[in-house]
Amino acid sequence: MLTGQITSAVLGIALAGAILFLVRRDHLHGPYALWWFAVAAATFVLGVFPIVVVWLGHLTGIVYAPVLPIIVGVSLILIRMLKLDIDRSKQERQIRRLTQKLAIIEQELERVGGRPARAADADSDRA
Amino acid sequence: MATYRIDLPGLDPQNPASAAAPCLVASADSRPLRAADCLAVIPARNEAGTVADVVAGVRRALGCDVLVVDDASTDETAARARAAGAGVLTLPLGLGAWGATQTGIRYAQRRGHAGVVTLDADGQHPPEALPALFEAQARSGANVVIGTCIARLSRAKRVAWRYLRALTGLRLGDFTSGLRLYDGAATKLLAGPAASLLDYQDVGVLMLLAKHDLSIEETPVAMLPRREGHSRVFASWWVVVRYMLNTTVLCIAQLDVGRRHGHVTSDPA
Repeated sequence: MLTGQITSAVLGIALAGAILFLVRRDHLHGPYALWWFAVAAATFVLGVFPIVVVWLGHLTGIVYAPVLPIIVGVSLILIRMLKLDIDRSKQERQIRRLTQKLAIIEQELERVGGRPARAADADSDRA
Repeated sequence: MATYRIDLPGLDPQNPASAAAPCLVASADSRPLRAADCLAVIPARNEAGTVADVVAGVRRALGCDVLVVDDASTDETAARARAAGAGVLTLPLGLGAWGATQTGIRYAQRRGHAGVVTLDADGQHPPEALPALFEAQARSGANVVIGTCIARLSRAKRVAWRYLRALTGLRLGDFTSGLRLYDGAATKLLAGPAASLLDYQDVGVLMLLAKHDLSIEETPVAMLPRREGHSRVFASWWVVVRYMLNTTVLCIAQLDVGRRHGHVTSDPA
């Protein structure tokens, strides 16, 4: 049992450490940092004190306690992925609109100043 | 090069309509659109072989400004379109047919055009058919007029459309026709972010229009077989399946829309 506890402690501490390192290095943007900081804290606590799981299992009435972190973990992963796709859709919308705006602005810029514009203006009176 | 009007309201002597605030919102506005006040938008991806003829044809038929939206083409599409007298917008990233069309709609909105007429760059929509859209708009006062060629539809498409009619509640003969006339209200709506995540100009766009109580009218037109290229939607079975699945999800998410609004009027021919 002791070796099992050491394994989980090592995993928890390593994961928490890696996340903290990334947050410190500014690789994770604002709200993501907060989320991962919480995950790091949870893995640390559960890794070092697996007894918490047993206590939580007792509290929630789940007979086979070790399944509890798995259920919670998978649920959180699903929520996280859902949020990820929501964010991606939002970004996709922004990218598309920026792409369109870029094409429009580029054309207007050409009309005002660039080389193809002068030809365009000279012709525009005829058309 | 096409003429571009100065879009300061009230300052353009050639276009008195632009003085009355560009793109009126009132959907009940039944004033017929004048072709000269509209912008013809032609989305094009690698259509160098046909785009010049299409541009010339539209300018002959309508005498309006023509804008080709070059959807990240790798050929001479933009240069040929420019040489034929169209304004050209070049998208740095490929956005697909609807993304390109919406770019043109946003441009028209920005420049204060009264409406937008769209057609494909591959030459399947004869420019001579364009005035018929304006006539149908004047007759019906609809916000959107779709030019359809029922006879051209393949058996697979007919089945697909029957399915979509059942699913959406929209009574339309052809969902994908790119030959359309949008009035000011439709232009304003479709230029907005709500239409930016749509991948095709068909069901999603039509549902959005129906949701906002805009009326859609279909009018029969003669169409030519595509001279080059092929339908982007009906390109391969895998694409068709993916398209139908995406569209089904889109429809299921908004089952109420098409049924709630009886705004689609079809002109069966």
